[in-house]
Amino acid sequence: MEFLRVEGFRKSFSGKEVLKGIDFSLEQGQILAIIGSSGSGKTTLLRCLNFLETPDEGRIFLGGELLSDATCKYSERELRAKRLKFGLVFQNFNLFPHYRALKNVTLAADLLAKERARAQKKEAVAAGCKRSRAAAEAKEFYRSLLAENRRRAEVLLERVSLSDKAESYPFELSGGQQQRVAIARALALEPEILCFDEPTSALDPELTGEVLKAIRALKGRTMIIVTHEMAFARDVADRVLFMADGVVEESGTPEEVFGNPQKGKTKAFLRHREEMI
Amino acid sequence: MKFWEVTLNLLEGFGTTCSIFAATLILALPLGLLIAFGSMSRFRPLRYVCRTVVWIIRGTPLMLQIIAIFYGPPLLFGISGFDRVPAVIVAFAINYACYFSEIYRGGIESVPRGQMEAGQVLGMKKGQIFRHIILIQVIKRIVPPMSNEIITLVKDTSLARVISVAEIIMEAQEYTRQGLIWPIFYTGAFYLIFVGALTLLFRYLEKRLAYIKV
Repeated sequence: MEFLRVEGFRKSFSGKEVLKGIDFSLEQGQILAIIGSSGSGKTTLLRCLNFLETPDEGRIFLGGELLSDATCKYSERELRAKRLKFGLVFQNFNLFPHYRALKNVTLAADLLAKERARAQKKEAVAAGCKRSRAAAEAKEFYRSLLAENRRRAEVLLERVSLSDKAESYPFELSGGQQQRVAIARALALEPEILCFDEPTSALDPELTGEVLKAIRALKGRTMIIVTHEMAFARDVADRVLFMADGVVEESGTPEEVFGNPQKGKTKAFLRHREEMI
Repeated sequence: MKFWEVTLNLLEGFGTTCSIFAATLILALPLGLLIAFGSMSRFRPLRYVCRTVVWIIRGTPLMLQIIAIFYGPPLLFGISGFDRVPAVIVAFAINYACYFSEIYRGGIESVPRGQMEAGQVLGMKKGQIFRHIILIQVIKRIVPPMSNEIITLVKDTSLARVISVAEIIMEAQEYTRQGLIWPIFYTGAFYLIFVGALTLLFRYLEKRLAYIKV
């Protein structure tokens, strides 16, 4: 059963059409690799999915329900809720330089915890509870949430093999380690779909392996990976989508797209890639 | 003894200097941030207004602005305007807020866009992103240029005497008029000590923020 469906995504930047009607769907637990040359619209597509850009047209369905329609205007609050369905790992990590690795992972969850504690206090006061008691209970609740966030962040850092770096600042970490912290951070709020925007492009070649390994270990989650690593895409993906000039030129299983490409552009792209290696 | 008498008098003037300095900082630091937001606003009229104000304030001498704020209201509207010290403080606050706003703007714009986007995809609110992610990185970047401006402010306070506010230089000039020259040079010591203390403070701040590598 399809879990995510994207319908008719279009996006122009100052008159230039970057996405010219993108449609695709994905099943729960599947990994979709998006390949294509630079400027084909891969990154814009990912940014639209994460609500960093608003497409001019197009709809997203998640779990059979309409999640967003580009023609509707959503409030900041609604956008936040929708954003949380997706996680994004950036090409250049974008870790918060002033927080240690663990805090990078917990920050967003901690802020949500604060909001929840505040809401609980408000409710208690509205229900006639004494202000001081409501405040004390909210504080206790907040503490328990923080402890839970911390525990979960530690588990996540362990999963990307960085338990020993929890108290390190980003600048003390290698690029590969930073990207693995970024993966843990993106998982902290348990997004339904985790997106990767060329997660290894900013890394030295000898560091790409550890990041790809960390991504591979997440198999079972629904993921969308924009990548230039053809071997990785072929190996890890359930579906491959080849984009060219803002359209989905070809899509299918890795065997179909890599093993027996139908379109001329796909063949040319793959041949060119091989020549580079 | 003459030396102690002069010192006490100059100290009194220096007290005025320090109050102008402190009041200006307290007002101009937040006002500058508001102007910075205004001049980065997506709402065009607000942006133009803020940028025009900054242009006018940075484009004219502070001395002229002090005179305008003190003599302007009574001359133009026939109303009684500010007292001397408040007039000086208002002029300084507006002037320094404009300079600060440009430093803030530079600082905010120099934080990579990816920092805000990373907060957004984690479902953080705009205010949360600013307070927890952007602000400290901005502060880290603006400490050196701000310390420069703030040190300039210490010495600019001497402009207050154009509307006869008895700050330290004006006190010293009283002695010059009586034929005593050295007090005017003696004022330099007060400025040097004050700026020296500020320099140490800013150095400490920079050290405290050194853990943020951007």
